[in-house]
Amino acid sequence: MKQKASYQRYLNRFGWFCVLPSVVLFGVFMLYPILSSLYYVTRRWKGMSNTFIGLGNFIRMGQDKVFLSALGNNFLFMVVQIPLMVFLALVLAVILNQGIRRFKGAFRLAIFLPAVTSLVVVSVLFRVLLQENGMLNNVLLKARLIAEPIGWLNDAAWAKVTIILAMTWRWTGYNMVFFLVGLQSIDPQIYEAAEVDGASKARQFFTITIPLLVPVILFSVVTSTSGTMQLFDEPNILTWQGGPANATMTAALYIYRQAFFVNADFGYATAMSYVVVLISGIFAFAQMRLLGDRGNK
Amino acid sequence: MSMVRSWTLGRVVSLVVLLVATAFSVFPFVWMLVGATLNPSEVLRGALRPGAEFFTNWVKATRMYNLPLFFWNSLKIAVVTVLLGLLVNGFAAYGFEKYPSKARDMVFNVLLLTLIIPQIALVIPMFRMFAFLRLLDSHAAIILPAIMSVFIIFFMRQNFKMFPSEIIEAARADGASELTIFVRIVTPSMQAAYVSSAIYIFINQWNSYLWPLITILSDAKKTMPIAISSMMSAYTIEYGALMVIVCISVLPVLILFLALQRQFVAGLLGSVK
Repeated sequence: MKQKASYQRYLNRFGWFCVLPSVVLFGVFMLYPILSSLYYVTRRWKGMSNTFIGLGNFIRMGQDKVFLSALGNNFLFMVVQIPLMVFLALVLAVILNQGIRRFKGAFRLAIFLPAVTSLVVVSVLFRVLLQENGMLNNVLLKARLIAEPIGWLNDAAWAKVTIILAMTWRWTGYNMVFFLVGLQSIDPQIYEAAEVDGASKARQFFTITIPLLVPVILFSVVTSTSGTMQLFDEPNILTWQGGPANATMTAALYIYRQAFFVNADFGYATAMSYVVVLISGIFAFAQMRLLGDRGNK
Repeated sequence: MSMVRSWTLGRVVSLVVLLVATAFSVFPFVWMLVGATLNPSEVLRGALRPGAEFFTNWVKATRMYNLPLFFWNSLKIAVVTVLLGLLVNGFAAYGFEKYPSKARDMVFNVLLLTLIIPQIALVIPMFRMFAFLRLLDSHAAIILPAIMSVFIIFFMRQNFKMFPSEIIEAARADGASELTIFVRIVTPSMQAAYVSSAIYIFINQWNSYLWPLITILSDAKKTMPIAISSMMSAYTIEYGALMVIVCISVLPVLILFLALQRQFVAGLLGSVK
């Protein structure tokens, strides 16, 4: 009996030994930064020195029009890009799953391909192709679809469209693959039963396919939301530092610029990053609740 | 009759939609290759026919911009991170899964909780820490924080769940030590999970932008994404050489994807299971 207890202790010690390296790295590169940010958030930097200002950084934020409009841009990209992408990915997944017989693998591979590029590469490619006198404008002009070149990068409204286009190009195939896996895990017998009951294809799609895909769709919405809250590479490179005139500025890019580019105000930047964490957390929580509820039905 | 017609119409529409999607997806890749053969003004104009400037661009990319060094830096960082990451995270996942204890489960839940923290919130205190350690502008600054990955621990743990505990018990009865069991018996049967994790870590590190952008200052330490982004911010942009570097930077991930498609997608999907 005593021997058994000591053996259990040995196993427990080995368990700690396994997780130790990860826990140490976690402590140094995750926990410590989080805890030390509690100090930064209450301070205001001026040059090399800093002073305590309590909640002053948060008060300043409320009056910072650029930060508020940057958050607004994050929301805009979220509510336009995510539904657009989910819709396209869903259509493509359904077609690949049921609409055709041959070349399925080839189509899936081709449509997934943009997901192998880094966001930096996507940004460079789109910035080059969407120049005022660049490829896309030339093609549209030749096809007489437009009368004069579109300012994809120079016009405030079009620059937002450009970011959405680039994100949609990069992520649609990626999400399509998720949906395909979801579709393939639906038991074909359900459709056969519906067929026997005389349900039309359209009715089957809305009463069987969509409800069963809800968990996968929500998962893709959750990850896309968190990705959009962190949007950085595209506005920094594609529309050049959130331009034109902050039209595509995002929260992450503004925080980066306050801390490392324009000013070295680590306190203010940390306070803004708290707001981003809070918003991401609320979204993740709300969507997970929704996911959990639907999953139980 | 109408059944047959709607069937064929559906097929035709499906095929058209897929062909359009394929054209949009693949075109930028094709054009990337074309761009590498053009001179800067042709790149900006978006010329569609290949030019004759590939050799000039290649020489510029390798001489003026030190492409081989950037490639080597990126490769070194990614490979070292993969090796250390597999070792550390795989071992932790095994510990969390096969040596159950309330205390360790609590630790695991704390790890999971931090998954929602966006990187932008961590980079400021991390930057201060690395400045204090005098490790800014080093490759260690990029590798060290990327080794431990909560997502990989989670993904590996899901995979270790499927390894039967009876086999571990049997090995114990035969007198094998815990470490031997992990190294000789469990790890070899987890190859697929390790490959998927390796691909995931490699791609993340190969494409990593924000943190290297903050820490890397000198030209000799630049990775591919940093080299590309600093070319974009130069006063005159050498578009031809840029396209060569862009092509080369896509290549490793493309090769990984084409060679190991199944594990590649499994790595992406790991979290769904």
